[in-house]
This record gives sequence, structure tokens and C-alpha cells, in this order.
Amino acid sequence: MTSRNIRKLVRTGLAVLAVVPMLALAACSANGASTTPNAAPSDGVLTIGLLGDIGQPPDPDVYYANNGLAIVLNTYEGLVQYKNDVDTVEIAPRLAESWTVSPDFTTYTFTLKSGVTFHDGTPFTSAAVKSSLQRRVDVDGGAAYMAAGVASVETPDDLTAVVTLSEPNSAFLDYLASPFGPKMVSPTGLAANAGSDNAQTYLQTHDLGTGPYELSAVEPGAKYTLTQYDDYWGTKSPFTTVELPIYSDVSSLQLAFDKGDVSAIVAALPSSSLDKYDGNPAFNSDMLPTLQSALVTVNPSKPFFAEKEARMAFMQSIDQKKLVDQVLGARSEPATTLYAKGMISDGSDKQNIEYDPSVMADYAKTLPEGTPMVVGYASGNTNAEQMANIVTANLQTTGIKATAQSYPTSQVFGWANDPTQGPDAFIDGNNGPDGGNPYMWGHVFWDKTGGINYFLCDDPSTDADLNQAVKTGDEALFAKAAQTYSATGCYLNLSYNKDWVVSQKWLDGVAESHNIGANELDFSLLSIAK
Amino acid sequence: MFRFILRRTGSAVVLLLVLSAIIFVLQAVSPGDPVKAYLGANASPEAIAAKREELGLNAPLYAQYLRFIANLLHGDLGQSFRTHRPVLTDLQSFLPATLELVLFSFVVAVLLGVLFAVSGSLRLKGGALFRGPLLLLAAAPPFLLALGGIVLFYAQLGVLPASGRGVDSSSPTGFVVLDSIITGQPDAIGLTFQHLLLPGVVLAIAPAIAIGRILRSSLDVTMSADYVRTAESKGLTPFAVLRRHVVRNSIGPGLSMAGLQLGFMFAGVVVVEQIFSWPGIGNYLAGSIPVSDFPAIAGVTLVLGTVYIVTNAVVDILQVAADPRLAA
Repeated sequence: MTSRNIRKLVRTGLAVLAVVPMLALAACSANGASTTPNAAPSDGVLTIGLLGDIGQPPDPDVYYANNGLAIVLNTYEGLVQYKNDVDTVEIAPRLAESWTVSPDFTTYTFTLKSGVTFHDGTPFTSAAVKSSLQRRVDVDGGAAYMAAGVASVETPDDLTAVVTLSEPNSAFLDYLASPFGPKMVSPTGLAANAGSDNAQTYLQTHDLGTGPYELSAVEPGAKYTLTQYDDYWGTKSPFTTVELPIYSDVSSLQLAFDKGDVSAIVAALPSSSLDKYDGNPAFNSDMLPTLQSALVTVNPSKPFFAEKEARMAFMQSIDQKKLVDQVLGARSEPATTLYAKGMISDGSDKQNIEYDPSVMADYAKTLPEGTPMVVGYASGNTNAEQMANIVTANLQTTGIKATAQSYPTSQVFGWANDPTQGPDAFIDGNNGPDGGNPYMWGHVFWDKTGGINYFLCDDPSTDADLNQAVKTGDEALFAKAAQTYSATGCYLNLSYNKDWVVSQKWLDGVAESHNIGANELDFSLLSIAK
Repeated sequence: MFRFILRRTGSAVVLLLVLSAIIFVLQAVSPGDPVKAYLGANASPEAIAAKREELGLNAPLYAQYLRFIANLLHGDLGQSFRTHRPVLTDLQSFLPATLELVLFSFVVAVLLGVLFAVSGSLRLKGGALFRGPLLLLAAAPPFLLALGGIVLFYAQLGVLPASGRGVDSSSPTGFVVLDSIITGQPDAIGLTFQHLLLPGVVLAIAPAIAIGRILRSSLDVTMSADYVRTAESKGLTPFAVLRRHVVRNSIGPGLSMAGLQLGFMFAGVVVVEQIFSWPGIGNYLAGSIPVSDFPAIAGVTLVLGTVYIVTNAVVDILQVAADPRLAA
């Protein structure tokens, strides 16, 4: 052996020696979770780890994304919310004690809670309802539509607000209960900090809500800190401070949680971590109901799915139960309805696509050998990636040259501008409506003007039925709209997804602090186990 | 020397203009929809169309580019679609963290690199015990090294923190070490260095080897030169030979490599910042790319491009200072 070869061998050996211990360490971190519970904090600090920065500012009229809701929902409150700790869509009081709805769904009268103050000391009255709804329209953010239909807000007294809509809308209470729905913002604080942008700059680093916590420190990219509001009207938790450090890497977040530096992780861990935490006696692992689903949509603008026959054959080729069990496990259950679970009370939105791979196998025989098909998924969504891989592997057995491909989220949302740029089909690992009304589901997923109908697969009669049903709240019409859309073959509701919350053993009240719409916890309802 | 600096500055400006044009074209041809990042995923097409108009995204590409350049000349990098803050504000917030990490890391890399080179070149006893593990660590990709470091020093031994900067990032200058020193907080100084150590060393390992190897081979060549042997035969001490005759004649390639590595470190910091949740521009960039936040991407790219160009210009100037023949 020449000296050159010896050097080469030594170098290779060194590289292997370097990599092997690292892999061992990484493997150790992946499976070596302790089974001894960490100690509860004695300083009143609750630490909720965020995976990634919140992105948009935590202004309730601007924020329209994901994990920043932890800040918005604990610093601001709306008139109503979804009921906590139930797996059904039920409206519950928050700043409104009670309400009445006119039979034609145009007038909503709210009786407000007394003794509520904003964080700047301003008393909460009906005037704040009026100014808050107006600000939502003026700021014109992504969820401005929720207040766009408000024609007027009358304030006959401090504790009564009468909201009149420009046209009937049975979903209006759901708009208000939505985590993205209008929140009450101090009119005094808004006026004092209005600037030239309706106080948007001010609310990037401050809050003007009535919630149990105040936004006390903002370190973009690093940490957000909430401090308990002393004059809060509701329940107070033993946690006087809530810190929300940002972790950019899921492994780092898990290690911090394992060591007890993080108290809880809300809906941020991949299914691959289920083995580590679910059933581990050192931690709590809660699977909590949501309105979210995994979905399959197909692109009728692509030649492969131009015909309904192909779309239906594809949907029938998906072994929904196996796919959901295999990839999502305990975090999910196979969906049996077209809307989210329980949205239609009598279950008449039953999904009627039965698994039958022979239909696709027969259809594939009519195609030229090796006909290509691309199944897309959003980059970074490991669950969707796994599902896309399984679906394409099954399709390959029929002779179709199916491939799974990842797309950045901005590209996914850009397809609606030109669906021909998209893949043939897309698997959405987790998506959902803003609220629990069937209209909010049907409109966003099925109507081409809804926002998440990526491939603009549209059926005018579905749109018409949805638009009519929202005026009357007619569930039968909502169910009809769903069945009509399902018949296009463009859509399959794969699973009812759950929020997976892992927390330290000492943390109590996780389920009680969560509701089906929020995807976040109400920190004021958390406590330390005795 | 003045003409040399002027020439380098001029070419740097041209390079940055070309860089900005490339980013602009890439943004225009990419199929993403940045307005969704601004308004949120479920925003209606009507709201998106209105916002696109408001943000000027419907204007022809050349008009958008000219406006971008005009704003740039006024120090306005636009508003981030994601954070809704001016990009300049975001950069002021995130850049100090990155600069602090990279500069710390660079110092570590140079120190390790010089030790690597000198111990090898002078055949110091036990030097292999230092060089071997360093080579071993450099063979691992940075993300694995980072994860391994976190598992070992944070999760297992509990001696070092694994994320963040340790103290409030929104300190007066943004440089938390500097602010801790200025405000005389010894505890904070210790804490910030603790947080710097793991990401700093991870980022420094590979550049240290690159610098060390080049420097060592340069030292070896110089050490075997006739004038060095002459100096030794004159009875000069090894240190005097090293200081007067070897270092000055060997430093050029090492300096050049150090400059190159500093530029690479700014690029490589994205991965390290991600794993250590370091609130710098690498993390900011990583969050901006998936949502096509063009103003933020352009801002970070221009900053990184400027740093790279300035670093190389400084290295060129230092090399000319060391050897004036290179200015010709």
C-alpha cells in the first residue's frame, strides 16, 4: 500500500470516527427520554417552548398564523369563545355574559361582563366593542372578513352592544369565537398610540387587551414574556410569568423539555416523537380535539385529473384508515365526514368514498405505461411527506410513475393564481378553518374564492348552497353542499387531527385550558399538580 | 493604496447591484405568493389582491426594481411581509447577534488554526493530541456537531446552555457581551459567554482546520527557506526567527484563507443559528425563505454580500500592507 493510500485510509477512518459518536449521541437524544418526572417551578414561571418565531406581530387584528396565538389568546379576549375541554363545537361566554340572536341572523345583542378592565386601566364597555370591530375592518388584515359584514354597533348602555349585520349570517358567533376572531382592544390605548397605522406599530411590542396576561417583553427571534395581569376579572393561575422561548430546531426543543427547562410543548412535535412521550410516565401527553384535518386534494387543471373518473379512482386508491394509523397514529383518527367532526349534528355529511384499489388499477391500464403523476406536500411537514410517499408507492404498483415532491408554503399558496403550476395532487398534513361553523369549512376548502382551494376545483352549485346555508344556518343544505362537492372527486377528508400537547408531570389543567378552535392553551387555567 | 481602496469599493458597489438584480429576478420568477405571508394562509383572494396592489407587486418588474434601488439609496429596505416591520429594523435587531457569534467564532477559529499550524510545523511534543481530535471534529457536518454538542454538554453533562443568548437580546447595542461589559454586569458577561461557547466552537471548527492547514504548509515552506536557515545559523533564537523572518513571510496565505473563511462563516451561520435557536439573521433568513418574504431575503442577502465583499477587500488591503508588490 502506498503512503498516499495510507493517508487516504487514515482520513476516511477519522471521518467515520467523527460521525459515529455523533450519530450515537443523536440516537441517544432521540430515544433516551428520562422516565423520572422533572420538578415543578417554585418561582411562578411557566415556560412554553415555541417551535419557530411567531412571524407576524401579536396584534389581534393582524395575527393570522399559528403559534403566536399563545400570546394573542392570553393577552386579549373576545366576546365569546369555544367551550373548553369538549370535543364539540359549542359557543361559550367570555367577555359577553349572554347574547341573543335575531331569527333572521342579522342582529346580535350582547350583554357584557361588568368589572372588566383593559391592561391600561380603561374599563371595558360597549364602546370598546364598537371600536374594536371597526379597527378590525380598518386594519384590513387576513381575518378582516369577520367584521366586514357589520353594518352598525349600537351601545344603548355600557354593558349592552347590539351588532347589526348588513346581511344575514349564521356564522357570526363563530367568527367571534374563532381564535382569529375580533378581540376587544382598549379604545383609550388605541387613541393614545394610534400613530399613522391604527396602533399597529405599538402593538408589535405591547398589548391593549383584557386577558389574564400582559405582553411584558418582546425579543424578536428569541423570547416573548407575559406577566400576569393583577386586575384580571377571571381565574388566576399560580404562574405569575409565562416565558415563551423560541426554538428553531425541534430536537433542541425536545432536549430542553426533557431536561425540564420547558414546561409544555403545544402542537409542535412530529408524530415520530410519539414513541418517546406518549405513555412515558415522566410526562403528560394529551391528545386534544381540534377542527384540523389532513386532506387530499387533486388538481383538475392537470391532464391526469382532468376527468372525474381519474379523480375518483385516485381517491378510492387511498387506504385512508391504514394511512392515518401508520403515519399519524394516536394524534388522529380517520375522518368519516366531509366537514370536521361533529360540525353537522346528524352526520349527514358522511364521506362516501370507499377504499377500492382495483378501480385505480383498472384505470391505470387505460393509460400509457409510465404515465407520470406528482403528489405534493408542504416542505417540512413530515407527516404529509410520509403520507405522500406511501400513496405514491402504492400508485407505482399500478404502473403509474408517481413521485412525491415537496413545495415551500409560499408556492403552495401561489397555485391558486395558476393551478397548472401545481402538482397533480396535494396532501395537506394539517389544515383547518378559522372556526367551527360549516360555512367556514366549506367556503375555504371548496369555494374558489375561499383561500385554501389550492387548485380552484370549483362547483358553482356547492358555492350557491353554502352561501344560502350561511344565511339561514340550514344544516341540511350544508350537508348537501358537502356531498355535491365530494362528488367532484377533488377532495378527501383524511383524518380528524388532534392537538398533541406534551407537558411536565406537575402541570395540571391542560385539557381544561384548551378548546376545539384555539389550538393553544389558556395559561390562566393551568396549575401545579398537588 | 488609496487608488486600490477606491477600486475595490467601486467593484463592491457593482457587485452588490448585480446581486440585488439577481435576487429580484429570482423573486419574480419564483411561483410563491408572498402576500399570503403578509395576510395569513386563509386570507381571501379579494384581500390578497388588494394587498398586492398596495404593496406595489402588480407593477412591472423593472419598475419594482427601480423603486427598490431608489428606496435602498434612501436607506429603506422595505417592509418584511412576515414580521410587518421595516427590514432595516429587523436587521438592526438580528444582525448584532450574528456579528457577535461570528466574530467570537472567528477569533476561536484563528486561535485554533494558529495552534494547529504552529504545533504541526514546529513538531511540538503532544501536538498531535490537539490536532487529531480537531481533525476528527472537523470531519463531522456542522449540524451533527451542533446536535452532538448539545446532547453532550447540555443534556448529559448540563454544563452549557443549548439555546438563545442568555440575556435580553434587545439590549442597547444588541451586542449582549459588549452591553454586559459596559453596564458592568459580571454575571451577565459570564452568561453570555456560556451561551456563545457551544455555537461559537461548532462554527469555528471547520474554518480553524482550513486556516491551520494553509498556515502550516506556508510555515513549512518558509521554515525550509535559505534565509531562515541563515538566520538560524546566525544564532538567532527560534522565537526571533519565527517573529522576524517566518511569520511575516508566511502569513499571506493564512490571512487570505481567514478572510475567505470569515465570509463562509456568515453563510454557514444559518444552520448553527437554527440548531442553537440563536436570534440572528440566519434564523431570520430561514424563516423568510419558505414564505417568499422578498424584502427580508433581499435585505439579508445584501448584508451578507456586503460583509463578504468588505471582508475580502480588507484581507486584500492587509495583504498589500504586508507585501506592497501585490498592489501593482
